[in-house]
Amino acid sequence: MTDLSPITALGDAAPRQTSFGALTIQENAGLGLASLYLRKGQTAPAPFGMRLPEVSGAVQAGDYGAFWTGPGQWMIELPNRAEADVAALVLAEATEASVSEQTHGFVAFEITSKAGADPLEALLSKLIDIDTAALGPGRVVRTGLEHMTVFVIRRAEDRLAVLGMRSFAGALWHALETTCQRLESKT
Amino acid sequence: MLIPHPLLGPRNAQEFTYLGDAQLLRRPDPQAPDAEAAFCDYVFQRSNPAGVHQELWFHEQGDRSWLVVTRNTVTHEILGAELACDVAKREGAQ
Repeated sequence: MTDLSPITALGDAAPRQTSFGALTIQENAGLGLASLYLRKGQTAPAPFGMRLPEVSGAVQAGDYGAFWTGPGQWMIELPNRAEADVAALVLAEATEASVSEQTHGFVAFEITSKAGADPLEALLSKLIDIDTAALGPGRVVRTGLEHMTVFVIRRAEDRLAVLGMRSFAGALWHALETTCQRLESKT
Repeated sequence: MLIPHPLLGPRNAQEFTYLGDAQLLRRPDPQAPDAEAAFCDYVFQRSNPAGVHQELWFHEQGDRSWLVVTRNTVTHEILGAELACDVAKREGAQ
């Protein structure tokens, strides 16, 4: 039988992690994702008991999460379930909606701060052209980061996730790493 | 340049792609007797005024919505932005 070894989006055997000062960037290789779109005239379902968030909202409920991506559109997050058939799991919870697998289309980098919100907000103000006041805990934006489209999810005061297209995982990692490095060398 | 997105607030125009004249929302009736001439205008004629103009912009690096942006093409002042689906619904209701 062919012996295949799984690799992460960055081509490594294990998820990559690096730290600069208070900030740690960690590749989240286990994040399962599926998009959920309402069809015309449908009301929002409540997959896994979650109330789907309003404009620019992100929710976490136990082993599940969801964030708003557009009018009547959400991404459902299943942490540590990347190997599962995520779309089937979500579709079972929202049988009327349009659900598509997204897990291997995206790469997720979790950034945590050991010194509260300030280092994260300094990082965000270097990376994206969004008012950081509008990106408090439980908020999400889709925007451009060095000409790449990303979702930035503020999971908590001291934690955020950057989701980008898997095909440019390396470029996104480079952008995050370089910016964190520069911020560290300044302080 | 900032575009005041009706749902997301002011966003950098670099997140958007530009399509042009919002007249494209007003597709003629293909069953009408003058449909051929109307479609010829619809497909080939675009207004390009020096002044206030309604344009279609796509929020590509955002929520992927189409907007109708009212812009002064001389001063680049943005006078307003609405979701294109809202504009189409309103005009369809009339």
